[in-house]
Amino acid sequence: MRSRPVLLGLAVVGYAVMIVPILFVVVSSFTAGKTLSFPPQGFSLQWFEKALSYTPFIDALGSSVLLAIVSTILALGFGVPVALGIARGRMRSAPIIQSFFVSPLIVPELVIGLALYQQVMITLRLDSFVALLIGHIVILLPYTVRVTGATLALSDTSIEDAARGLGAGPWHTFRTVTLPLMRPGLISAALLSFITSFNNVPLSLLLQSREFRTFPVTMLDYVQQSYDPMIAAMSTLIMAGTVVIAIIAERTVGFARIFGGINQ
Amino acid sequence: MSTVSTLAAAEFRGISQVYGSSVAVDDIDLQIQRGALTTLLGPSGCGKTTSLRMLAGYLKPTAGSILIDGVDATRLPPEKRDLGMVFQSYALFPHLTIAENVAYGLRIRKLPAQDRAARVAECLELVGLGHLADRKPKALSGGQQQRVALARAIAIRPKLLLLDEPLSNLDARLRIQMRAEIRRIQAETGLTVVLVTHDQDEALEMSDAMVVMRAGRIMQTGSPSEVFTRPANRFVADFLGYENFLSGPDGGLITVRPEHLQVRALDGAGAIDSSVGADGLLVPGTVTSVAYRGTDEVVTVSAAADVTLTVALHRGSQSAHLPPLGPGDRVEVSAHAGDVIPLTEA
Repeated sequence: MRSRPVLLGLAVVGYAVMIVPILFVVVSSFTAGKTLSFPPQGFSLQWFEKALSYTPFIDALGSSVLLAIVSTILALGFGVPVALGIARGRMRSAPIIQSFFVSPLIVPELVIGLALYQQVMITLRLDSFVALLIGHIVILLPYTVRVTGATLALSDTSIEDAARGLGAGPWHTFRTVTLPLMRPGLISAALLSFITSFNNVPLSLLLQSREFRTFPVTMLDYVQQSYDPMIAAMSTLIMAGTVVIAIIAERTVGFARIFGGINQ
Repeated sequence: MSTVSTLAAAEFRGISQVYGSSVAVDDIDLQIQRGALTTLLGPSGCGKTTSLRMLAGYLKPTAGSILIDGVDATRLPPEKRDLGMVFQSYALFPHLTIAENVAYGLRIRKLPAQDRAARVAECLELVGLGHLADRKPKALSGGQQQRVALARAIAIRPKLLLLDEPLSNLDARLRIQMRAEIRRIQAETGLTVVLVTHDQDEALEMSDAMVVMRAGRIMQTGSPSEVFTRPANRFVADFLGYENFLSGPDGGLITVRPEHLQVRALDGAGAIDSSVGADGLLVPGTVTSVAYRGTDEVVTVSAAADVTLTVALHRGSQSAHLPPLGPGDRVEVSAHAGDVIPLTEA
């Protein structure tokens, strides 16, 4: 590092730009005062108490976590077979199929949301959870297909051939060899999907209803009406949760492998 | 004919493999002798690996049938063939320990735990890796991984052991060691082995039978000494390191190994006619270069317009009492009749 002072400087500035504002939020959430300001006035946990007892937040948090978990599972359920087909299926059209499943990345989410609003909610009259679920699966598929696909593409197909040669049928080979080989990719894809779904705003703006509200939009609404430290306390709690997930991710697979998977 | 096919451990009958418009394997017949080590030898793209993959069941032949132990196995998937395959990349299961790798095929065969442990230990002992049973493949060197792959394939007591370029990823010294090692294991287990290689030295040293292939066809089959001393055609000769190709008396092609040629300086202008016939070979020419290669001295002689001969002189024998040759010297190159090999052009 000492031989690259410019790079080091840029890294410090970059981290500072990302982290310092967050630190302001975290520190101000412990204020004893009534307004969101910096430096905080005294120390108290009162805003955490308020945040945890404010039902719209807690309900929305529950909804968002439920939506993120279900859409992640379903996106993996669709995405993994697609990735397997692309990586192992010896299809001439594999690149086209791959592009098709990655294409939602370049379609504005508002457009996807609008389409679902028209078709699923207005025409089919399904409720907003179903519409959101479909929307989230669509925007998560690029991640599940691409990330699990990258792990598969990197693994040696003769490992699976070896299992077949030793007497394992296709299903036994998948269970005892392919699936363990895919494990890092599956964990990466699941984490990325969960985070992407949990943070999504555009789809929720169009598709949520009074009965089913997601967490980021609830926060947005709250900030527009009142600007008190409770929002900072809630943000701090969410960040704490994210840090826990990040630690688990780093311990199990490693960040480099998780986020490396996107570019491969 | 029926007795022959029951003797063979495996047999190809009219096997072809066609991808679109390219023919990888072109209507070959082949018998793999039981208890012997058969090598499929040839340059890349000759169809040797394709043939092995068809034998193992990873590729369905476009035409023809494959018999294993005299039974038609053409349509059997790999898991029903009971063959042990060692891949070029070793293909060990990275998430399993060495012992679990070796036990993989035994679990599928539902071998009781005790017998399984005994067999794993026995196979790891056979390849000299008993002490590494609890490691993961990543912790092993290439040579050790290779041995694990061998142990894993042998553990299932396969009908045939198939080796796909097993030594190509090892360094030169280890490669030589493993040749002997594989022969020893073959002798101890009595397994029928089919080995694919592009390395003629490997094939010559290790095989009981050699199958030389080119462009999807079999060029020659025979024991290493048969193939080496009597190559059937120009391709086989070329591949085995023959360098001297001349027109024979009846217009056909002949060859002589560089070490079977003698060279003698011609004094004066006395021109001699070249003669290639039943009583040997005698050709005049001019030395173009002399290269010193340790124990050998390689003399390149330009004979006729487009004939260049390479003569390998063993230092200390023929060349010791001869005056040293240099570029430009007029010489006469000769060979005994017994060393002149007629070839067919192919």
